[in-house]
Amino acid sequence: MEKVIGIDLGTTNSCVAIVENGVPTVIPNRGGYKTTPSMVAITEAGKRLVGHIAKRQAITNAENTVYAAKRLIGRKWNSPQVKNAVATSSYRIVQGPHNDVRIVLRDKEYSVSEISAMVLQEMKLIAEDYLGETAVKAVITVPAYFNDNQRQATKDAGEIAGLDVIRIINEPTAAALSYGFGKNVEKTIAVYDFGGGTFDISILEIGSSGVFKVIATAGDTFLGGEDVDARVIDWLVHGFKDEHGIDLRQDRMALQRLKDAAEKAKCELSSVRETEVNLPFIISSGRNEALHLQRTIDRKTLEDLSADLIERTIDICKQTLADARLEKEDVEEVLLVGGMTRMPKIQHAVADFFEREPCKGVHPDESVALGAGIQGAALIDDKHDMVLLDVTPHALGIMTQGGFFEELIPQNTTVPTHRTKIFTTSRDNQTAVKIVVMQGESERAEENELLGEFILTGLRRAPKGAVEIEVTFEINADGIVSVHAKDLETAKEQSIEVTASSGLTRDEIRDMMENAKDYMVERRSTEEFEAAKQEAERIVGEIERLFPQVENIVAASDFGRDAIEKARAIVTKARQAISKRDVSAIKGEIEGLSRTHRMFKGVVAKTH
Amino acid sequence: MGEPPSKRVEETPEGDENERPTINPPFDVEEYARANARSGPPVQGVDTARPPPRREPAEGELDWSEPPQRSEQITLTNEVELERARAQSAQNEPPRGPPSVLSMANARAPSSPSDAPPERTQSHSSIEAAVLGALSSSPAPEITERTIDDPVAEMRGRFSLGDYTGALEMAELLLAGDPGNLEAAECGENCRSVLQGMYSARIGSLERVPVVVVPRAQMRWLSMDHRAGFVLSLVDGSSTIDMILDVSGMPRLDTLRILHELVQQKIVAFR
Repeated sequence: MEKVIGIDLGTTNSCVAIVENGVPTVIPNRGGYKTTPSMVAITEAGKRLVGHIAKRQAITNAENTVYAAKRLIGRKWNSPQVKNAVATSSYRIVQGPHNDVRIVLRDKEYSVSEISAMVLQEMKLIAEDYLGETAVKAVITVPAYFNDNQRQATKDAGEIAGLDVIRIINEPTAAALSYGFGKNVEKTIAVYDFGGGTFDISILEIGSSGVFKVIATAGDTFLGGEDVDARVIDWLVHGFKDEHGIDLRQDRMALQRLKDAAEKAKCELSSVRETEVNLPFIISSGRNEALHLQRTIDRKTLEDLSADLIERTIDICKQTLADARLEKEDVEEVLLVGGMTRMPKIQHAVADFFEREPCKGVHPDESVALGAGIQGAALIDDKHDMVLLDVTPHALGIMTQGGFFEELIPQNTTVPTHRTKIFTTSRDNQTAVKIVVMQGESERAEENELLGEFILTGLRRAPKGAVEIEVTFEINADGIVSVHAKDLETAKEQSIEVTASSGLTRDEIRDMMENAKDYMVERRSTEEFEAAKQEAERIVGEIERLFPQVENIVAASDFGRDAIEKARAIVTKARQAISKRDVSAIKGEIEGLSRTHRMFKGVVAKTH
Repeated sequence: MGEPPSKRVEETPEGDENERPTINPPFDVEEYARANARSGPPVQGVDTARPPPRREPAEGELDWSEPPQRSEQITLTNEVELERARAQSAQNEPPRGPPSVLSMANARAPSSPSDAPPERTQSHSSIEAAVLGALSSSPAPEITERTIDDPVAEMRGRFSLGDYTGALEMAELLLAGDPGNLEAAECGENCRSVLQGMYSARIGSLERVPVVVVPRAQMRWLSMDHRAGFVLSLVDGSSTIDMILDVSGMPRLDTLRILHELVQQKIVAFR
C-alpha cells in the first residue's frame, strides 16, 4: 500500500513521520537526528546546503542562509510581517513580480515557496532513504492561524518538492491527533507550543466521530527558543568583555560558536542544574594569543535570563482564554509541544497558569509530525476511523461601511458550505456597491486578509437603506470560494471566484519543479559517485596495504610477477575511473578490485 | 452571528516586534552578567599561556614544570615572522609549505602523562624547522629584513621557484594596491589552485571524516589562533572534510591549510 508521510514544516526545525504497521514513527535523518533545521544556504561555490549543515554556517555565511522562511510564506510584500523581516533578516528580501516576497541568495532570487520546497525535499529524501522507495503523498502541517494564501503557498512548496500534498492540517490539531491516537477522547485541550522561533497557544475541542475543532488560537510569530539563546549569548559576551575587553560579537566565527554553545547549554540545563560553556581559542587577543571562553552557567541564571519571555507566553495564554470566553477549568488537558517546553521553568509556569499538570504523553519535538503521519495513514486507509473534516481556517466575509468586517462564514465551518446575508446601500442615490471579500477574525476589515473585490453596478437610485443586496458566499469541496452579489429588486448579479494564491503563477511553479527535479538528479548522481568512489578507494587502500607482503611472497615466480602487474593495472584503472567521475566504470572496477583483494588476502593468509 | 472566538495576537502588548531579531530583556544583561560573574560561578576567559592550577603529581606520575613564558613563543600565524624565518632559513628549498597556523610552542612544552599534549612526531618543513631552530637553546639564527623593490618580479620569482604561498602573498599585496592588476589576479588564482591541489592531495579524499584526537582537557595546552580554533570546533567526528569546507565560512584554501596543519600536528586524525 502506498505510504503517506507526515511533515511538520516548522519555523526553525522540521520533522517527518510515518505510520508503519499501525505505529506512528518519526524518521531520523542521516545524522540520526529526528528533527532537521529548516534552514537553506548557498555556499560560495554555489552548493546548496539544507538542514544541520546550513545551520552550522548560518552566522559565518549569514547573507546567504535563509532561516524562518515560514514567517514569510504566502505573505504579501506590503504586509507588516514582511516589513519587519526585511528590517531584521540577515538575508536580502525583495519584492516579487506579483507583490509577493523573494529572497536573494548569491544574486539569485528565490520565492519563499521555493525555499520551503528545499526543506520539504530534504524531508522527502529522509523518508525515501528510510522507506527504500519513493515517497510522493504527504500531509503537511501549518499553524492554525495560516490563511488560505499561506496554506496554498505551503501546498505549492510541496508540489515544487515533488510531493502530492493530500492535506494541509493545523499544527495543534496534529499534536492533538498524536495525543488522541488509539484513545477515545472527547475533551477540550490546550496546546502550548513553544518552538524555536514561534509561540502558539491553541484551544481545541476533540469531539466524537473524529472532529478536531480549533476554537481559539493565538501566539507570537517572533518569540521562540532563539530568543532564549540570544539572552545566553548576551550573558556570555558581556562576561567575556568584562574579563578581556573584547566584544566577541565582532567576530563571526566566535559568534557562530557562541550561538551553538548557547543552544547546547540551554538544552542541557533542562536536565542538569549547571553546565560548562567551553570554547577554546574563541578569539585572538591581537598579541598573537588566542583566548578561551570557559564559563559555568546554571539553571537559575537561564531562568532569570528568560523569565520575561516565559511571562509573555503566559500573558498570551490568558488573553486567548479570555477571547475564547473560556475559563481555565474548561481546559481538561494541556499538551506541551516544541523543544522549549522541556525547560522545567516553562513546565511549572504552564502548570501554575492552567492549574493542572501538563500531559507528559506527547513528544515535544515529534508530536506534530506524528499527528500528520496519523492523518496521512487515515486518509488512505479506510480502517482508520480518525478523519479530520475540512474546515475553514478563518472566517470569511465582506467589508462594510466604516471599515468594519461583516462575517458570513465563521471560522471552523465544515466545507462545502454556503451562507447568505442581505445588505443595503449606505448613501442616498447609490448606484454601485463594492464587495470587498476578506478573511480573518478581526472586526476591523484592515486587519484581515484581502481575498478579492468586485463592483455591482446598475442599482436603482433610492434613499440609503432602500436597496437590498443579497450576498452569498459558497465554498465548494475543493475549497474554492465563490461570492455572489445580487440586487434583489432588479435581479442584477455580479460574482467573483476566489482561489487562494501563493503569489506564484502556474508557469513559475512548473519551472521551479523542473529545477528541483534537476537538482535531485544531480544530487543523486553525486551521491552515487561518492558511494562508488568510497568503496573503490577502500578496496584500493586494502590492496596497497598488502602489496609489499604479496610482492615479497610471489616475486620469485614469473606467475607472481604477472599477477602483481595485473593487480597494479586494476588499481590504475580504478583510479582513472575515479578521476573521470565515471560511476559505471568505477562500479565495473570494484568487482576486479574485490577479486584482487581476496586473492592478496589468500596469499598472505597461506604464508602465515 | 457571534463574535469570532479569538483573534490572533500578532503584536506584543508593548508593540516591540521591531526590536527583532532579539527581544530586549527588561533588565540589563550586561549588569546581570557582571553581578553573576562576581557572585556566581567563575568566569574564565583563560589565556592560553596560563597553565592550569598546579596539582601535586600522583605516584608514578612525572612532575610538571612550568611551561615556558608566552612571550618566548612564536606563532606562525604572524606572517612577518614567518617570512623572516623563511628568508633566513630556506630560500633555496622550494616548494615550501604554507605558513602554519599552529604554534610550535607545544613541541617544546614539557609533558606530564595526564595534562600535557600528546607527543608528536613531525616532519617539519624547512620553514618550521627554521622556526624550531630559532626556538631551541642554540644561538638563534640571525634574522634580517630585506626590502622588496619590485613586487611583480618577486611574485614571478616566487612562483617560478614553486613558492606558491609566497607568490600568493605578493599577488594579494599587489591586488590590495591595484585591484585591476590582471597578472597578480591570475597568479593569485593559479597559486590558490595549486595550493588547494597540494593540500587536497595531502589530506586525501574530501569524504574522509576527521576526528579530534587530543583529549578535551589538554586542548587549552595547544597553541593556535582562533581561526584554527574555529576549524577545530567544526571537527565533530561525523562531518566530512567537504562538509567542514562548506560550513567554515572561510576560503577553501585557508580551511584546507588549517585542517592540514591540524593533521600534521596530530591534533586531528581521520577515521
